[in-house]
Amino acid sequence: MIEQAAAARQARWTVTPGAGFAARGFTAGYDGVPVIGPLDLDLPEPGIYTVLGPSGSGKSTLLRAAAGLLPDYGGSLALGGRPLGGRKSGGAANGQAAVRVGFVPQNYGLLPWQTAVRNIRTALRIARPEEPRAVREEAAARWLERVGLGGLERRYPRELSGGQQQRVAIARAFAVRPDLLLLDEPFSALDAVTREGLQRLLLGSWRAQPSTMLFVTHDVEEAVLLGRRILLLPEGASTGDDRNRAEASMYTGGLLQIDNEALAGLPFEDKRDSEKFQEQTRALRGLLREGRGTTHES
Amino acid sequence: MNPDPGRFVLRLLAVFAALHALWALLAALLHRDMLPSPLAVYRALFALDGGETLLHIGTSLGRVFAGIGLALLLGLLPGLLMGRSPRWNQLLDPIVYLTYPVPKIALLPVAMLFLGLGEASKIGMIALILVFQIIISVRDGVKAIPANTYEVLTSLGAGRMERFLHATLPGALSSMLSTLRISLGTAFSVLFFTEIYGTEHGMGYFIMDAWLRLDYAEMYAGILLFSAAGFALFLLVDLIEHRFMKWRA
Repeated sequence: MIEQAAAARQARWTVTPGAGFAARGFTAGYDGVPVIGPLDLDLPEPGIYTVLGPSGSGKSTLLRAAAGLLPDYGGSLALGGRPLGGRKSGGAANGQAAVRVGFVPQNYGLLPWQTAVRNIRTALRIARPEEPRAVREEAAARWLERVGLGGLERRYPRELSGGQQQRVAIARAFAVRPDLLLLDEPFSALDAVTREGLQRLLLGSWRAQPSTMLFVTHDVEEAVLLGRRILLLPEGASTGDDRNRAEASMYTGGLLQIDNEALAGLPFEDKRDSEKFQEQTRALRGLLREGRGTTHES
Repeated sequence: MNPDPGRFVLRLLAVFAALHALWALLAALLHRDMLPSPLAVYRALFALDGGETLLHIGTSLGRVFAGIGLALLLGLLPGLLMGRSPRWNQLLDPIVYLTYPVPKIALLPVAMLFLGLGEASKIGMIALILVFQIIISVRDGVKAIPANTYEVLTSLGAGRMERFLHATLPGALSSMLSTLRISLGTAFSVLFFTEIYGTEHGMGYFIMDAWLRLDYAEMYAGILLFSAAGFALFLLVDLIEHRFMKWRA
């Protein structure tokens, strides 16, 4: 156990700097029960990466660790060589700034006692204390406008619909100009029409301000519509046995990466109707079924 | 607050007038000294020395505010601790649970013994009544804050202080305010008891003094004033709630 921890600590400092999002031997769990990993992963930046997997595959856990909500993870997570997850980067020593994270949880995570615009201003005040107030206020107003809530800035969250609240949360995440955007099933509580509008909005916002985005979803179509690459997680953390099998199969580094560049290039409106979309979703559904099958055998 | 303030005020006035009519009727039927007519009472009310009456009202309100302030001071910290830390909650919950049902007014003689007959026991009693309610409401208010409220702040890099200011404190304050509104009535009643002894100022003293002098018109005038002061206090809390709790209304 101690050796493992030491090795993990070692690994944390040996992440190659400069690259995009990187995981090295990443493992995490709750109360000592591992739910994900070990994971090895390199994602070039910028890009939208959708994370797909059956429930219990630890996709939210990965996100929470990167967001700094799970300080006890094993191995390392980094962005551009800077450690993630609220760990002291030693950044002070080598002059690195901490990674700025924009986080969008499933149920919006807005402060109910602050208006839409105040929610964004508060986020900016925390994430960008060095900026003058006027600049922050301008950014908050601009992003609210961009997500189509121009006239509703003085509304409180309870006076907004679910879709509108999620728009505020998206505006808040982008407004801090994050290095890393983390979205945890942000649209799963919304109806189909609202969801499509927000998917389009998300893509548009990202194009206006590209960064590395990890988007967790359990919706195969959403994963294909949004991701430049789809990261498929197997069910549960791999034990030694599983890992052998996983390594024998297509899973490498604890997950399966599916290239989706061809679709990522298409206009949003055309994606659903394209043959490639059908092909990708069918393939993914198969893989998800398969992944479930193998773990049930054990 | 009410969606249409105009109609609300009108309804209040109607009830106010109806109560007076009932009172006038009862007074006429009874025709005894112990229930003077509204007219006699209002005549006594306006015959009162303005400055002295203000002193009585001011003294009473001052005691209430001091008691509220003390209760907030004493109740906020344990409430916050219990709301944020399961361990503190485990430690303090039995104490609160055991002492909560004790009728605090029964402790008035104890308060008088320990704090004397002066201001300390008066303010202390009000604080005693309010503090448990405040502890419990702050705890529950803090507990009710959804975890992801903190999570977004944490992911943005918020420190302890920022999380407290933006999440814990507003959550605690909102439930505290609604508790204050409910327990204010009790606090005001207790004030009356504490003003019976050891003071020559305050609404309780004023009413009991008139009673002893058999000046019933003045006694009822005092009751009216006492009620008006209570109503004003209630309005104040309403106003504060309206101003700061718009997000919840």
